[in-house]
Amino acid sequence: MKPKSSVNRPPTPDVVEREPTFQELINIKFIETGEKERLMELLRERLVDCGWKDEMKAICRAFVKKKGRNNVTVDELIHVITPKGRASVPDSVKAELLQRIQTFLVSAAL
Amino acid sequence: MMFQRNPLHTNPEPCNHLSDYKLKHGFNGYKAIQKLLVTSPIGRTSLKKPNLRILRCSFCNGCEKRVFLCLICSSFCCLDHTLLHIQTENGHDLFVDVERCELYCGVCCDQIYDPDFDQFVMAKHSMVLPNGVVGNESIGQRLIKRRRLVSGVGLYLQNESKFRFETKDLRGKSCFPEGLRGLNSLGSTCFMNSVLQALLHAPPFRDYFLSGGHSLEDCKRRTTERLCLICDINTVFSAMYSGDRNPYSPAQFLYSWWQHSANLASYEQQDAHEFFISMLDAIHEKEGITKNGSKGNGGDCQCIAHRVFYGQLRSEVTCMACGFTSTTYDPFLDISLNLDINISLTEKGKKLTKQNADDNMSTLLGCLDLFTRPEKLGSDQKLYCQNCKERQNALKQMSISKLPLVLTLHVKRFEHSFVKKLSRKIDRYLQFPFSLDMTPYLSSSILRAKYGNRIFNFGGDESDTFSKFEIFAVVTHSGTLESGHYVTFVRLRKQWYRCDDAWITKVDEATVRASQCYMIFYVQKTLYNKANEDLSHLPNSPGREILIPIIPEANAQRENPFSLILSLGFGESQFVVDKNDFQRILINSNCDKVDVETKNEVANWIYACGYVDRSLKRRLMSQKQLELFNNFLQLCLMKFFKCRLVMHITLQQLPIIRVVQPPFFFLYQGNNIEKKEKSRDKKGVM
Repeated sequence: MKPKSSVNRPPTPDVVEREPTFQELINIKFIETGEKERLMELLRERLVDCGWKDEMKAICRAFVKKKGRNNVTVDELIHVITPKGRASVPDSVKAELLQRIQTFLVSAAL
Repeated sequence: MMFQRNPLHTNPEPCNHLSDYKLKHGFNGYKAIQKLLVTSPIGRTSLKKPNLRILRCSFCNGCEKRVFLCLICSSFCCLDHTLLHIQTENGHDLFVDVERCELYCGVCCDQIYDPDFDQFVMAKHSMVLPNGVVGNESIGQRLIKRRRLVSGVGLYLQNESKFRFETKDLRGKSCFPEGLRGLNSLGSTCFMNSVLQALLHAPPFRDYFLSGGHSLEDCKRRTTERLCLICDINTVFSAMYSGDRNPYSPAQFLYSWWQHSANLASYEQQDAHEFFISMLDAIHEKEGITKNGSKGNGGDCQCIAHRVFYGQLRSEVTCMACGFTSTTYDPFLDISLNLDINISLTEKGKKLTKQNADDNMSTLLGCLDLFTRPEKLGSDQKLYCQNCKERQNALKQMSISKLPLVLTLHVKRFEHSFVKKLSRKIDRYLQFPFSLDMTPYLSSSILRAKYGNRIFNFGGDESDTFSKFEIFAVVTHSGTLESGHYVTFVRLRKQWYRCDDAWITKVDEATVRASQCYMIFYVQKTLYNKANEDLSHLPNSPGREILIPIIPEANAQRENPFSLILSLGFGESQFVVDKNDFQRILINSNCDKVDVETKNEVANWIYACGYVDRSLKRRLMSQKQLELFNNFLQLCLMKFFKCRLVMHITLQQLPIIRVVQPPFFFLYQGNNIEKKEKSRDKKGVM
């Protein structure tokens, strides 16, 4: 039952009932309308197209190779590639997504 | 839920927590989840609670992060709080990633795989898994079809053999392997020559003709239809392997083909790919009808064109609205690939600054990726969805459900634009590998990628060995759309040869790699006779020199069909075994009683007698030699091939050997013994 020590987790926050923030409200809106799902699909497609996915795959492979096949957990992998992955998303993709989000927000606010 | 497991994927060791869970709770959690499964149109499975739109973590109430579902108490928590859940609820170790529907162990902090779980998930899809088409043709049946090439020309030429001996001697020293012979251009027929050169060296195709799969004698069409294209292909094969190195003019063949494809009959330059298709169609038309009684469609046709070149494509059209998928299977002769220009120039171009310029190069694998990528059909091609009962946007995805023995890839270099009403040629360089692994493009792999990371058999029974391909020929095109030239590179025994109409030259690999490929021919690696190659670089053994006076004599049989020397049938295909091979086999065999020299001699002798006719028979065989040979062969067969010799060789029956137990072993001479053969057949000895 002892959790793995290698994984850095943030301390468990206290459970407090509070008003949802503005960001959370928007997030909920996105999920409820299904827009989030569509955006994710679009993002997936773009990232595959631009080679980002292959790049991440290569990094993962390299990492697994270095650590040994049996000593890697998904959590570790996520921690390793998340900063690299975030940084290497092409600007064009970000711009397109931002555009989509803006349009949605405008239409949702109306 | 009678799905098979995929034998190719070993089940990973389950973690202790999973075993504990399954012991305690069985499949209860899985069953509960099954009701919540939702599949998106593109095949991704996720969990959804019908009455709950937004899933929140039971601890932090957040909904931004990945949400997990506890398999025991069905409560949700985000990734950060899985640990907390484990701590508060004893034994609640296992979670399901809601978005992906994958198992996660909170204690190991790792994704885990469970075939049972995957079965529950996949059962939801209730898809009809295709049972891959298996060619369940009995080998024996195929081999019984063995026929001999018979020609009456042999006798006439016999008398001249002495004269020819001298003249052919020089050419006999040509270092090129057999079957390499230039083809004269008959007026812009390089499109035909290039494809012919490739086909002549396609192992299964070649073996079929060399082993007399289509015999001139048995061909009934010759009389009824006046011309038979296959007979003419046979003639071309005979000419190519006759040993003569002078360029050959396939005029008869060209004429035959013109008869078949009247629309292409002209002295103009044609498209090599078009020719390839039309020729195989012609073979199918003639052969397919006679062998099956009816025109077989796709996989079940037993004509040589289908057996060798036909594969099957699976095309899936998915309705984007409801996810209803209609699947169709289509046979293909070759795969036409678009050059992946658009992607590399537009989308990848944005990233070019970061990566090497190399990434912008088109590769064959890139083209194959493009071919099997899901493609959104345009608004003008909306699919009529049977489920929604209306026209919907659709997603189309191609994959290969059955690989042919010889895989032909055609690169679409000629572009016809209907908008601009002009055609152009794309001169882009395309990099292609010499060894190709088709596994990622098989239906089973594509389906696996689509439905996520599951241990599950997606209906592909093509094992790894059948998806590995080796290159053996490349047809290249140089020049422009209107006027260009086709040149073929053929790979024989690891050496590349450039076949430019009548001229054949040795080239190195780099030349081939740098060429502008138009059609690429791959053959299954198992059929790619490696043994052929290993010995070809050895210096001339003394055994070889013994052969020298013999081979040129074989050349004397100019128009005489060559004969298959030895043909070893292993399963699907027959391999033509050449001298080197046989020598190797004999030398490696542990026949202790026979010394190496004798082995060498016998190997040479076997090799020789496949090529020469009566005169040699007289010359070579003494009773003692024959005895030795018989004993030796018996030993070899027993030890090396683990089979039994059925018939002894006598001087009269020289040299036909047939062994009935697998692996089948034949040794027979093609000509001049036809009369004896027939009489023997009547007696039922064979």
